[in-house]
Amino acid sequence: MTRRERIPNLGGATAFVLHRPHPATSTLMRQLGAIGLDAVEVWPELPAEALGADFCFFDADLGFDDQFPWKAGEAPMPLIALIGSEAPGRIEWALAQGADSHLVKPVGNSGIYAALLIAKRGFEARRALAGEVESLRARVSERQTIVRAVVALSAGGVGEERAYAQLRALAMSWQVTIEDAARRIVELEQGVRREHPVAN
Amino acid sequence: MRRSVDLGLLFSRSGNYRLLSGASHAGALAAIEAVNADAGRTVAFSPVALDPEGRTERYAPLCEEIFRTSTARHVIGCTTSWSRKEVIPVLEKHGGTLWYPCPYEGFETNEQVVYMHACPNQHLVPLLAHVVPRFGADGFLLGSNYIWGWETNRVARDVILDAGGKVLGERYLPLGDTDVERLIAEIRATRPDFILNNLIGPSSYAFFEAYGRLGAEDAHFTPERCPILSCNLTEIELPAIGPSAEGHLSVGPWFAPAGATACDASSFYTAAYSAVLVLADLLEAGDAASADGPLGFAGRTFQTPLGAIAIDPASQHAHLPIRIGRVRGGRFDLVESSPALVAPDPYLSRYDPAAHFGRPPLRVVS
Repeated sequence: MTRRERIPNLGGATAFVLHRPHPATSTLMRQLGAIGLDAVEVWPELPAEALGADFCFFDADLGFDDQFPWKAGEAPMPLIALIGSEAPGRIEWALAQGADSHLVKPVGNSGIYAALLIAKRGFEARRALAGEVESLRARVSERQTIVRAVVALSAGGVGEERAYAQLRALAMSWQVTIEDAARRIVELEQGVRREHPVAN
Repeated sequence: MRRSVDLGLLFSRSGNYRLLSGASHAGALAAIEAVNADAGRTVAFSPVALDPEGRTERYAPLCEEIFRTSTARHVIGCTTSWSRKEVIPVLEKHGGTLWYPCPYEGFETNEQVVYMHACPNQHLVPLLAHVVPRFGADGFLLGSNYIWGWETNRVARDVILDAGGKVLGERYLPLGDTDVERLIAEIRATRPDFILNNLIGPSSYAFFEAYGRLGAEDAHFTPERCPILSCNLTEIELPAIGPSAEGHLSVGPWFAPAGATACDASSFYTAAYSAVLVLADLLEAGDAASADGPLGFAGRTFQTPLGAIAIDPASQHAHLPIRIGRVRGGRFDLVESSPALVAPDPYLSRYDPAAHFGRPPLRVVS
């Protein structure tokens, strides 16, 4: 089942617009206000408060890496590129920042709400995926630990299959992942831990 | 010396929704007449009226023609959201302004458009807030296969969940389709507490009639137990529906008072009428003289048939009163009235379930 997004409640969300003051962005500021966001225009650098913002718009034409208080591609909020020049180098740079959506300058009356929702969704999907990759990576790196735990548990003469079943039972009773359970057993085996595993 | 100002009118006087667009057209014309007859006014309007005949693709070229053949920079016009979206590029090209006098599904704020009728926080949300405590929270959603139905029902799904209810069904008919038997069968089977009707024109009329017959067979489906709710039903369509509209509910900024005789009295009429008055006030104050500058809505109220209204300068949507009416004898009895104007919130950015339905009910999280 796919989860349907609720009414996207953007009221009171904060947005930083990293762009030199220009008539091209006045429509953007007005529309953000009409949608219900608190928007702040800043140039040339994002202040520290920007780290807590819900959205960040940035100028893809005159922008440069040092404007951001985070590393390229690691923005803690959805990013929306304001693109004037479509030179490939500038697009490349905007993508390297991790732009989740974009608006073409001069920014008109339409497209802003869509850009916000697309950026929000893209950012959330990216963050969820990064979290999943991180946890899978951690689990993959524990493969050897599982092998060692199974070897330790089968030392009592039980077969490898029963040892693995025992490991799963332990993980369940301790309410931890199988990797965590394996790590505990290896630590017990090595005398790092003093408690005794009890499998039911 | 009075200043004569060309004013565009762009309403269909034939086609599917001519009842609604005709009412807006008549309202705008009546207001122009009233302004022109008012000796206290310093502006007079000369209408430049073109008729797109209900054909969506005619709106943009005719809007262009208004700007090309007259000095008009303001147009009172459009009924459907499709037609409004069609004319926006023309407005942007010519720096023109459209005054849009119909309820719509929200999620738009264009600098070239002034939205004179209700958006969802001024129609759907208060209507459901009125109905849920009185009839129950489980609804059946209907719509014509068109942006009005899709978006209004989408918001309704969230609001119904917030109220602790269930959506027992959601069905769409092609525009103009009057084959409603299947809808009726599903409604009969699911026994909702209310039906949210976002059908348009003949589909809606056919549904009211069939629902009336269902009510005669099964007492659950009477307006007292399971009403039909509409967010755009006005006096203007009641004759087309006939007695089966009786007892059902609608919401709007204005319903005709008892004793009103004008046959086109409806909020489609009064919103268009009000748009002309607001524009006349702005022109006299000199704020709308330049087509490029923002309109001077800030800090002003305008005396109109909708009451003393204001226009939010940021979103250019009207602050409006909210009235909920029950059909009785071809007009609406008011069953609820907002004590004050309600500010527009076209993106539902300030929607707060707790304000309408108290503490949000606990839900199973899977």
